[in-house]
Amino acid sequence: MTIGKRYGIIIMTFLIMLLTACTSPNNETNNASISKTTNELVFASTKDIRDINPHLYAGEMAAQNIVFESLVVNTADGVKAALAESWDISEDGKTYTFYLRHGVTFTDGEPFNSDAVKMNIDSVVGNIEKNSWLNLVAEIDETIALDEYTFQLTLKNAYYPTLQELGLTRPFRFISPKSFINGTTANGVNGYAGTGPYMLSEHVENQYAIFTENKGYWGDNPKIKSVKWKVMPDHQTILLALEKGEIDLLFGSDGDMIDSDAFKVLSNQGKYSTIISHPVGSRAIVMNSKQPITQDAKVREAFQYAINKEIIADGILNGTEQQADTLLAESVPYANLGLNGYQHDQQKSNDLLAEAGWELNKDGYRYKDNQKLDVTIYYNSDNAQERTISESMQNDLKQVGANLNIVGEEKQAYFDRQKTGEFDLMYSLSWGLPYDPQTYVSSWRVPSHADYQAQLGLDRKEWLDQTITNLMNEQSENERIQMYKDILTYIHEEDIYLPLTFSVTKAVHIQALKGVGFNISQYEIPFEKMYFEQ
Amino acid sequence: MGIYLIKRVLAIIPIILCLSFLAFVLINLRTSDPAEIALRVNQMTPTEDMVNAMRSTLGLDQPYFVRYFSWISKSIQGDFGESYVTHRPVAEHIATALPSTLQLAAVALLIIIVCSVVVGVLCALYEGSVGDKLMRAFVFLSAAMPSFWIGILLIWLFSVKLGWFDTSGMERVSSVILPAVTLSLGFVSTYIRLIRNNMIKNKNENFVLYARVRGLKESRITLKIFINSMQISMTALGMSIPKLIAGTVVVENIFAWPGIGRLCVSAIFNSDFPIIQAYILIMGVMFVICNLVVDMINMMVDPRLRKEM
Repeated sequence: MTIGKRYGIIIMTFLIMLLTACTSPNNETNNASISKTTNELVFASTKDIRDINPHLYAGEMAAQNIVFESLVVNTADGVKAALAESWDISEDGKTYTFYLRHGVTFTDGEPFNSDAVKMNIDSVVGNIEKNSWLNLVAEIDETIALDEYTFQLTLKNAYYPTLQELGLTRPFRFISPKSFINGTTANGVNGYAGTGPYMLSEHVENQYAIFTENKGYWGDNPKIKSVKWKVMPDHQTILLALEKGEIDLLFGSDGDMIDSDAFKVLSNQGKYSTIISHPVGSRAIVMNSKQPITQDAKVREAFQYAINKEIIADGILNGTEQQADTLLAESVPYANLGLNGYQHDQQKSNDLLAEAGWELNKDGYRYKDNQKLDVTIYYNSDNAQERTISESMQNDLKQVGANLNIVGEEKQAYFDRQKTGEFDLMYSLSWGLPYDPQTYVSSWRVPSHADYQAQLGLDRKEWLDQTITNLMNEQSENERIQMYKDILTYIHEEDIYLPLTFSVTKAVHIQALKGVGFNISQYEIPFEKMYFEQ
Repeated sequence: MGIYLIKRVLAIIPIILCLSFLAFVLINLRTSDPAEIALRVNQMTPTEDMVNAMRSTLGLDQPYFVRYFSWISKSIQGDFGESYVTHRPVAEHIATALPSTLQLAAVALLIIIVCSVVVGVLCALYEGSVGDKLMRAFVFLSAAMPSFWIGILLIWLFSVKLGWFDTSGMERVSSVILPAVTLSLGFVSTYIRLIRNNMIKNKNENFVLYARVRGLKESRITLKIFINSMQISMTALGMSIPKLIAGTVVVENIFAWPGIGRLCVSAIFNSDFPIIQAYILIMGVMFVICNLVVDMINMMVDPRLRKEM
């Protein structure tokens, strides 16, 4: 036998062995049912935690959330006590007095008291440039440490969502005064000492971060003593790591979550636990009341009937999100109004368009005064799902004689378009609880937002904006309920929004991991409530 | 030769200036406001006050050419500005990421050299054999398969199924192997073909016949054929080094390797202009300098080129 032939046979043998290894059945290296031997939870994220300074926005919120706490916390049952055990609100709604929890220390040994609270809040308010997106920051008038454990906050106006906004993941969370640099956090911090259930003990940039239990935590100590935040930019790699048993948990929405098809496959496989949260935010289309075609309320109403939301919810989103009949879910505060949604009804849509003067032509599209019923939807080209949803809508609208052009734009160009108002249709996603409804509705007054631009053609836009401003400072709960009812009903009846679904947060984890649930905010991950089955 | 070298070095300067200008201009051609981008990158909702403050912080209120000259003069001193995302010096990010990429590229280069020399020489010596045909098929397939797919397949086989390596990351010494193999596969196929084809051409040259007639040992003849076949491969390899360093983008993302490729991809998705500009400039300079070094080495190795000059 020649050397060449021998050489060829060796290679063939190697290839055959390799293929055999590929097809070996049911090998036990995938570890869905394996019990953990270490008490460390490995969580995969596509992003590094970066800088988790709680007063700034340069880090991952889920990491900030487990290290730093606020006076109060937002829960499904409303605002609850956290570092403040209780509080009083003055009759005029402008003065909040907080009675702080005793015996709490930051992880660097610094005591938590009203001086620390004042220092933190003053630093946030002093950095108004970075924090002006949040109304509360501009409303704070004065901060006083009345005594070691009593802290007073006075506002310029009786801003009703004060407690909700204090409880947000950022910026009103507390870091140890020793971590400040020159008396402020605006230019960075020299440590991450918080009061939360975990502390950051190791961070290798762009590779991983390790959070270990805060042994001196004032609350219930977490059962999982260490959380390793592993950075994996590629979703395929994440899935392979899950199969190998290198990671225990995937958590999040959109960017940090595998696509809905992969999620569905994992759900059906049964090897892992897959869970979906309560509706967290609204996924809707906003229609521009200032553009030539969509300024007609009948056209907007016709589009409501034309769109088949079932295909979107079940076909595209694989049943992970429920269909929305209203802009805000009824579980959102002040949004339980019993408003009626639109059922998919092509005939009704056709009738409305005909009534509006759009006549069907031989080419299958409608025309009026020689103008074709042609509208354009814009989406952020990073979001492939929005493209697919747009295509489904394009088909639905074609059935009623309307042509929908689909344009994907680079992220910043997309935001620029929101500012100029040069769009017929665009996606509008609320931030979810606890930002909804007040932060979302408040943003309708901001000219650089698509919502403002789309509402500009409404007869009562000025009234709408003024009512929003008034309700932010409305003291009476009953009055506030009525005001929200008025504005949400008006928006609903004007058909400015075409609600599609309510977005959700998803999680995939190994079966040995228990206690996996969701906080009210989609940006937080409740690691402190999880544990491994023994 | 010294004069030639000086001429070549001086010629680099206008090339690098053009490159730097292109790197600055292309990115600043965007119609979007960089100040707003710098805010949105951290999921902040920009208000007018915030945008104005950021514009001033980033020096975007300066005229265009003032900004360019400021950037280029600082870049020469190693100051590429601050990242929009982290607000830390770009140089710091690059200094952190570059060693990881160099490590990956070095291991990949070693694999490329060893595999392509061994396989290329064997294929040339046993031209037409079953082994040669199989290797050529392998070369064809590996050149056709995209690296992100090869990478995923390698992870699935060697990490998930066989359990030999971690799926990703840089936590163990062995973690470099799968990404380096993935990175090298695209180049190995090229060099196997180059070495094989050049050796086959050279083994039919007169000097080989003459050496055999003289009775020289076959191994020595093979070595000489190999050395004479290396010129093109060396030139290509020299240019591959910066390509290896710049081309780690896909591999670093799949394998979560914290190198400069991943830094660049994140910067692109985040519209982190300072990092993108610095990356383009550094990679461009690296290509230009590598090109010069390779030319010089070729000249030192091959007397025919010195005569031409």
